[in-house]
Amino acid sequence: MAFETPGRTGGAVVPYRLGVGIGWRPEIDLTVERLPGVEFVEVIAEGVQPSRPADSLRVLRARGLPVIPHGVGLGIGGAEPPDPARLAHLAACAEAFDSPLVSEHLAFVRAGDLDAGHLLPVPRTREALSVIADNVRRAQAALPVPLALENVAALFGWPEDELTEAEFLYELVERTGVGLLIDVANLYNNQVNLGLSARRALDGLPLDALAYVHVAGGYAHDGVWHDTHTASVPDAVLDLLTELCARVRPPGVLLEWDDAYPSDQALAAELDRVREAISRA
Amino acid sequence: MPDQETAPEPLSEPAPGPLPGPLSEPAPDPGSGPMCGPGRGGDVPARGRLAEAQRELLAALVAGGPRPEGFDEVRLRIQSASLIAKRRGLVARFAPELTRRLGSDFAPLFTSYAQGHPKPPGGSRADARAFIEWLDRCRSPERRHTTGPVPPPERISRWRRFFR
Repeated sequence: MAFETPGRTGGAVVPYRLGVGIGWRPEIDLTVERLPGVEFVEVIAEGVQPSRPADSLRVLRARGLPVIPHGVGLGIGGAEPPDPARLAHLAACAEAFDSPLVSEHLAFVRAGDLDAGHLLPVPRTREALSVIADNVRRAQAALPVPLALENVAALFGWPEDELTEAEFLYELVERTGVGLLIDVANLYNNQVNLGLSARRALDGLPLDALAYVHVAGGYAHDGVWHDTHTASVPDAVLDLLTELCARVRPPGVLLEWDDAYPSDQALAAELDRVREAISRA
Repeated sequence: MPDQETAPEPLSEPAPGPLPGPLSEPAPDPGSGPMCGPGRGGDVPARGRLAEAQRELLAALVAGGPRPEGFDEVRLRIQSASLIAKRRGLVARFAPELTRRLGSDFAPLFTSYAQGHPKPPGGSRADARAFIEWLDRCRSPERRHTTGPVPPPERISRWRRFFR
């Protein structure tokens, strides 16, 4: 398959091809600069100072690589409207890098005075949907570029869930026009841990709203999959990427690796596996 | 991240930016109830119910609260342990020297600390600081005044040597 080219309807979210990318992290900044064939990067928004971006990010921008701010702390699935200061920070990141979009997660991360320090699944009820749709509209109004939301890796479900994650995201896209960041590793995680079919999720997701795709590795412990972003992407996750690419041509696919960084050669080989999985579709 | 991580927390804290002006009021959601002011926004009763449900679940996961009705006990235990493991991994990155000194005691000590102390505001740096203060309190003669679980004495005696 080929990547999406400019002008497609789904290009409302990403107006041009992103290609194959990798999550830029300070620990692997020089590696990312040198890796062959990296076409875009994502940067964790909470780690960026928009007025003083890292030199490496300036280098990548000077080469014309898109830099996508990826937030982890907004908690757009929370009960409170999204924090204006966090939204302003995301907006400032998008402006600093002239980003085509910003991305976040369909998750809640805090409640009252408690902080999970992590992305937790939201209750997928129609009532929660109306609250979260309102949150998304507020975020969109505060951002200078489109927003895409990512499906999360869950270890539990809410007893009151009325909708599948795909149905919930479908409704959210319908109501708000928000873009989708589909993490196929998270779909795999939810299949292993919660018995939710990843292929059925792909059937139900509004793929025409797809902005880009995440892939990542993890490890199994006592029958539970942990989506750690610290290991080679399992073949099963790459198969899901192929499956996704057979249904829609994603504007971009990005490898996430967050700790226990391997050699430059190993990361390059991992990106080759991603390209190969895309080309199989 | 070191373990059980989906959302990497950056090592540097976000730069405090200027607060934006008031958000423009979004169009009412057709599925929502009555709209209220922009400060709170949306369907207030729905927000209230969502807040209560999320607070109750989070209290069970990170603050030793009771398990809300209907949730799978084993899965919540796995999630809870996963959250502690993630905090531990991040604290290890912020305080590598402390981690090295504690050696194999670091993980069980941190778990003892975290079970009684939800992650404080201020991110992982604040968590590392609170962990160190907890260790200090545990080795002080007044440690009976501390709250939450304390490490077993043999662990304390091993690591306190490093702090003398």
